[in-house]
Amino acid sequence: MATDRPLRLAFDTGGTFTDLTIDGLGLYKSSTTPDDPVVGVMNVCDVAAADLGLTRRELLERASQVVYGTTRATNAVINANTAKTAMLLTTGHPDILLWREGGRIGTFDFTVQYPDPYIPRRFTYEIQERVGAAGEVVIPLDEAKTIETLQELKATGIEAVAVCFLWSILNPAHELRVGELIEEHLPGVPYTLSHVLNPSIREYRRASAAAIDASLKPLMGTFLHRLSERFAEEGFTGRVLVMTSAGGVLDNNSVAEAPIHTLASGPAAAPVAGRRFLGLDDLGDTAIVTDAGGTSFDVSLVRRGQIPWTRETKIGRSYYGPMTGFPSVDVKSVGAGGGSIAWLDGGILRVGPQSAGAVPGPACYGAGGTSATVTDACVALGYLEPSRFLNGAMPLHADLSREAIEREIAGPLGMGVEEAAAAILEVATERMINAIEDIAISQGVDPRDAVMISGGGSGGFYACAIARRLGCDQVIVPEAAAALSAVGAFISDLVADFAVTLPTSTDRFPNDEVNRVLAELGRTCEDFIAGPGSDSVEQTVSYSVEARYPQQIWDLEVPLGRSEFTEDDHIEELRQAFHGVHNEVLGIHDEGSAVETMTWRAKVRCELGTDLSGATALMAAPPEEPETREVYFSGSGFVDATIRTLASIRPDETLAGPAIIEGPATTVVVEPQATAKRLESGSLVIHPTGNA
Amino acid sequence: MAAPETRRGQAAPVLDPVQMAVVQSRLEGTVRAMIHTLLRSARSGILGVAKDFSCCILNAEDEVVASAGSIPIHVMQGPDMMARWMKRFHPDLRRGDAFLHNSPYHGNTHAADWSILVPVIDYEGVHRFTVLAKAHQGDCGNGEPTTYAINARDVYEEGALIWPCVKAQEHYRDNEDLVRTCQMRIRVPEQWWGDYLALVGSARIGERRLLELLDDLGADMLAAYGRQLFEESEQRMIEAIRWLPRARRTAVSTHDPFPRLPDGVPVRVSVDVDPDDGLITVDLRDNPDCLPVGINLSEAAARTAALIGVFNSVGNVAPIGQELKANAGSFRRVSVLVRENCCVGIPRHPHSVSAATTNLQDRVSNATMRCFSEMLDGVGLAEFGAPVPPSGAVISGTDPRTGKPFINQLQLAAAGGPGGPSTDGWLTAYSTGAAGMMYKDSVEIDEVKHPIRVLEQRILQDTAGDGRHRGAPSALVRIEAVDAAIEFMINSDGTVNHPRGVRGGHDGMPADQWVQQAGGGLRGVGAFHRETISPGDVMVSVSSSGGGYGPPWERAVADVVRDVEEGWLSRDRAMEVYGVVMNEHHRVDEIATHRLRQEIAEWGFPPAMAPTPPPASGVPGLPRLL
Repeated sequence: MATDRPLRLAFDTGGTFTDLTIDGLGLYKSSTTPDDPVVGVMNVCDVAAADLGLTRRELLERASQVVYGTTRATNAVINANTAKTAMLLTTGHPDILLWREGGRIGTFDFTVQYPDPYIPRRFTYEIQERVGAAGEVVIPLDEAKTIETLQELKATGIEAVAVCFLWSILNPAHELRVGELIEEHLPGVPYTLSHVLNPSIREYRRASAAAIDASLKPLMGTFLHRLSERFAEEGFTGRVLVMTSAGGVLDNNSVAEAPIHTLASGPAAAPVAGRRFLGLDDLGDTAIVTDAGGTSFDVSLVRRGQIPWTRETKIGRSYYGPMTGFPSVDVKSVGAGGGSIAWLDGGILRVGPQSAGAVPGPACYGAGGTSATVTDACVALGYLEPSRFLNGAMPLHADLSREAIEREIAGPLGMGVEEAAAAILEVATERMINAIEDIAISQGVDPRDAVMISGGGSGGFYACAIARRLGCDQVIVPEAAAALSAVGAFISDLVADFAVTLPTSTDRFPNDEVNRVLAELGRTCEDFIAGPGSDSVEQTVSYSVEARYPQQIWDLEVPLGRSEFTEDDHIEELRQAFHGVHNEVLGIHDEGSAVETMTWRAKVRCELGTDLSGATALMAAPPEEPETREVYFSGSGFVDATIRTLASIRPDETLAGPAIIEGPATTVVVEPQATAKRLESGSLVIHPTGNA
Repeated sequence: MAAPETRRGQAAPVLDPVQMAVVQSRLEGTVRAMIHTLLRSARSGILGVAKDFSCCILNAEDEVVASAGSIPIHVMQGPDMMARWMKRFHPDLRRGDAFLHNSPYHGNTHAADWSILVPVIDYEGVHRFTVLAKAHQGDCGNGEPTTYAINARDVYEEGALIWPCVKAQEHYRDNEDLVRTCQMRIRVPEQWWGDYLALVGSARIGERRLLELLDDLGADMLAAYGRQLFEESEQRMIEAIRWLPRARRTAVSTHDPFPRLPDGVPVRVSVDVDPDDGLITVDLRDNPDCLPVGINLSEAAARTAALIGVFNSVGNVAPIGQELKANAGSFRRVSVLVRENCCVGIPRHPHSVSAATTNLQDRVSNATMRCFSEMLDGVGLAEFGAPVPPSGAVISGTDPRTGKPFINQLQLAAAGGPGGPSTDGWLTAYSTGAAGMMYKDSVEIDEVKHPIRVLEQRILQDTAGDGRHRGAPSALVRIEAVDAAIEFMINSDGTVNHPRGVRGGHDGMPADQWVQQAGGGLRGVGAFHRETISPGDVMVSVSSSGGGYGPPWERAVADVVRDVEEGWLSRDRAMEVYGVVMNEHHRVDEIATHRLRQEIAEWGFPPAMAPTPPPASGVPGLPRLL
C-alpha cells in the first residue's frame, strides 16, 4: 500500500467463508472457523496482510474502523445453541410461544411434528400482573411472588431472562419493575424487556423477540467482547461496528445489548451494497439484489432508492421456525445454490433444498459426493472450467459430475446428460425466480422495472437466465460480486430506529399530540447524532407512520414528508400518501376512507464517510488471446463460447454472447442472445436479450 | 425456460419436468399474491388475522389447478361447480366481469363464504381461467348475529343474503345496486365494505397476473399443464391405494344433541377400498334426510368432507417424494356417493346449510378417517377435536369506546388435532376442514377490536387423547366482557360425543363452557346457544382434545418424559396410562416401566388404573384455575 491513510476493514463471517474487504475494494477469503469465528477473522487478516506486504499487526494498526457481520447468532438460534433462558409472561398466558400465530404447511401431511416453543414451558413462568388495552392496570404487579419466581430461576441455573407482558407497549411500568427486580435478585444475569426491545402490538411477536434476544445475550455478549479484545491485542485502536439486520451498523457495545439485531445481518448488507452499485453507474433507483452462495440464494430489493423492510422476520421455515417479531431488511432466502441436490419427485425434477454442503460437496469435488448438484450441472454444461475452479486451487472432476447426472437424472428421465444438466439449472433458476417474485410481490416491485444486481460466488451462472425470465433489461455484476455483504457492511451507515405508539385518525387528528410525539422522536434522534453519530459526516432523520384504514388489521408504513402538522392540508396529504402506498403494495385503495395511524417512527442515519471510489481491476489488465470453448445452452445445444477473464475486458467494451467471463471469484455466463459490457465502475452489465 | 414460444400453437404440447415445475411455480405465485392482498387489506379479524379464506385458479374445464395455502373445506370440491354455474348463468363472459357467488345450492360451501369469481379472458377473447377468492364474512346478514345459524329451520329463517352467482362488476366497475343492498342488510357495513374491497382486489390481482402468464407462456402450454398434472396425480393416487388392503369398513360419528335435535345426528360413513382397481368409494347415502336445522351440508361440503377424510388417511402411506396431490386427477380415484335431500349429501332448497363447514362436516371427515384407521396400522387418523368452542364464537355488541357496533368470529385457542401414525396432534388444527391452515388471533388485537379482555389462554394438562401418538390437548380460554354486554353465538360440538381415539388410542376430552359471573359463581351454558354476558362476566371455554392413535403403552418413553417435563402430562397419568414409572426428577425406572408396560399390554389396564371415561363436564384442575 502506497499511502499511510487509515484503512477501513469489513468482515463477513459466512457459513463457509470469512470475507474481508479493505476500503471496499480488495477482497480476501479464508475458511470460516465455526468453533471460534475469531480465528477465521484473524486468518483472513493474515491473507490480506500477506498480499499487501504487511504483518497482521501492521494491517490492524493502520486500520481506523472495523465493520463486522456474522451469521453466528442465526446459527445459534437454528441449532438451539443458545443460553438457558426463562420467559416471564402475564398470568393466564403461559403458552404464547407455544401457540405462535398458527398456520401450517402441507394440508394432508401429518408427518411433521408440531414445533416446540422457543423457550420450553418448564422455563416459562406466569407473573401476577395485568395491564388492559387502554394501558390501565388491571392486576397490580405482585412483587413478592415475582421475587419468589426469580429465586426459583436462580436455583434452576437460568442464564438469561425474557420478559413480555400484555400491553407493556402502552404501560411499561410492570416490565420495568421486573427488570429492576432481576437486577437486584439475579445480578449479572442478562435480561430483555419486550417493550424496550420491540415496542409493537401482537404479543407473540414481542414475546418471541424478547425470548430470542435474551437467549443470545450471554453468547453474543461474550463473543463480541472477545472480538474487540483480540483486535485490541493485535494493535487495533479504532472503532468496532457490527452489522445489523436493519442494514446498518451499530457500535459493538450497543449490539451486545440487543444481539437479536445481528440475526440475518449478513444478507441485510447486500442491498446496501446493491444500492451503491446502482448509484455508481447511475442505473436508476430500483433493483433486485441477489446473493447466490453454496447452499442458499438470498434476494433483497432497492425500491425507489429505499431498502424495503419486513415486519415478519422468521428464522427457518415459515410457521415452524420462530419469528423474531422484529422489522428487518426484507430478505427472502431459498435453499438453492451450487451445492443443491437434484432429485426426482415422481416425474417432476426437483432441485434442493437439500444441499451436498462443503463436505462431501458436489460430485465433481471428488470427495465422495454422489449426488448431482447444480455445480455439477455447471461443469457438465461447460460453464465451469474444471482446472480453473478457485483460480486453480481446487481442480474439479468433470467425469464425476457427468456420472452423477447420468445416474440420478438423465438415465431415469431418458435424456442426455447435457439436457439433464440444463434442466437442473433451469429448475434451480426457477426456484430463485420464485423467491424473487415472492418478495417483489409483497413489496410491490415489478421486476421488469428493476435492474438486477447479481452477487455471490455462483450468481453469475444464473444471472442472465433469471433476468431474461423476469423481463429485467439489465443485470449488473459488480467487481466485488463475490462479497456483496462485506462490501455492504463496509459502506453501511450508523442507523437507529425509534418508535412511539399514538393511535389517531385523519378524521379526528390531534395535531398537538402528534407534533409532541414527533418532536420527542426528533430529540431522541438528535441525542443519537450527538452520541454514537458524533464523528459522522452527514446525518439524516426521516419520519414515518404505520397507518391503516379503520378496522383494518395490518398497517402499512407511510413515509412522512414532514415532522410537524400545522395545516389541514398536511393531514389530507397524509391520507393521500396512504392511499398511494396501499395501492402500490396491495393493488387497491379505499378513496373515501379516513386513515388511522398507530405507531410513529423516526429513523436516524449517520453516514460514516466510507464510500466506494470505483474499480481496481481496471488498472492493469493484461491483453489476452481470445479463447473459445464448447458450452451447452438449452435451446441451442453445444455452441462455441468466447472465454474471457474479467480483467481483460476494457471499460465500454461490449461482448456478444455466448460467452463465459471468468473472474477471480466468480464466473459469469452470457447466454447466446445476450450481450455484456464493462462499465467505468468496473461492473459488468448484461442485457439478457441483447437490445442494449 | 426452454423456449416455450417454439411450442406455442402446437395442437397438444407435452411439458417436460422443467416446464411443469415452471408453470406450477407461476400459478402458485399468483395464488400467493391473491392471498397477500386479501390478508393484508381485510378489515375483519376473521379474514385479516385468522385468514379464514382461500384463493384458487381454475382452468377452462373448471378444474382447480392451483390453490396453495388454502383451507381444504373451501377448495377441494365446490369451486369447480361454482365455475360451471357461472358459465351456465352468464354464457357471455366478458373481461371486466366479476361475480359474487355464495349460494350453497350452486356449489358454494355455506352462505357465509362469499366468493368472487373472475373469468380470465385472454386477448383473443377466449375464457382461459377462472380465479376464485372465497372469504368467510364477519357477518352475512343472518337473522341472528352469527355466520352459523344452526337452529334455522330453513334458508328463510337463516336470513342470509344468497347471491347465486350475480354480476358484481362489469367493465371493472362495481354494481352499485348490490353494494347498497349489502350496506342495508349486513351488520357493521364499513367492515363488510373493507372486506369486500379486499376480496374483489384479490381476484383482480389474480386475473392481472394470469393475463401476463398467458402472454408469457401461451394458453396451450398452460392447458397442457393441467392435463399432465391431473394424470400424474391420478397415477400417484393409484399407487398409494395399492398399499391399502382390500377392505370395507363403516364408522359412525355422532353430532351432539341440541334443542331442535334432541337425539343428535349419527353420521354413518362406509369406505370401500379396491387396491387392484386403485379405487376408494366413500358412501354417505345411509344417513338421515335433510334436517329442519342449519347444519345440513351443502353438496360441496359433503363431498369435500369425505375427500378430507380420505386424504388425511391415505396421505401418509405414499412413499417419500411421491406425496399425494389433492386435485381433480387424484379425485378420479375417489368416488363419493351422496344422495339428494340428505343431511350429508345434496341439500334440497330451502333446507338451511348455514353451518356446513363445521358440525356435520367434521363428523363425516372423522368417521371416514376412522374407517381407514381400522384397516391398517399406519393409515388413518384419530378424530380431531370438535369445532367450535366459545373461544371461536361469533361475538357482537356495541363497543363503548367508540359507540359503534362490532361483529366478528374469534379465533383464540380452539380444538386440537388428532394423533396419527407418525406424529402427535397438531395444536392449532382447529377443525378437519381448516386443517391448521388458519391463523390464530392475537390477544392484543382482539382487545383493541372488541370490548373484551382475554384473561386466560392455556393448554390443559392430562387432557390429550392418550396414545402411541397422542392428540393435541384441550385449551382453556376465559374472555371477560369489558364495560359492555357481549353476545356469544355458541356452536360447540363435542361436549357430549367427544373425539374418538383409534387403534387402541384413547378418546379425547369433551368440550365445555360456562359463564363465570361478575359476582362470583359459575353457571353452565348450552353448547348451541345464544348467550349475552353482562359487563364483568367471563365466558369460559374449554375445547375438546384430539383422540389418540395406537395404544399409549407403545408410546416412546422419551416422548412421555418430555410431555411430563413440559407439563402436558402429570407423572401419575404417565404411569397409569403410559406405564412409564419415573421419580420426581423425571428419571425413568426402566425395569418397572418395562414390567408395567408388559402387564398393561397383556392384561389390559388393572381395574384401578383403567382410564376413566372423560367426565361429562369439569376438566381436571379447572376449579383450581378459576
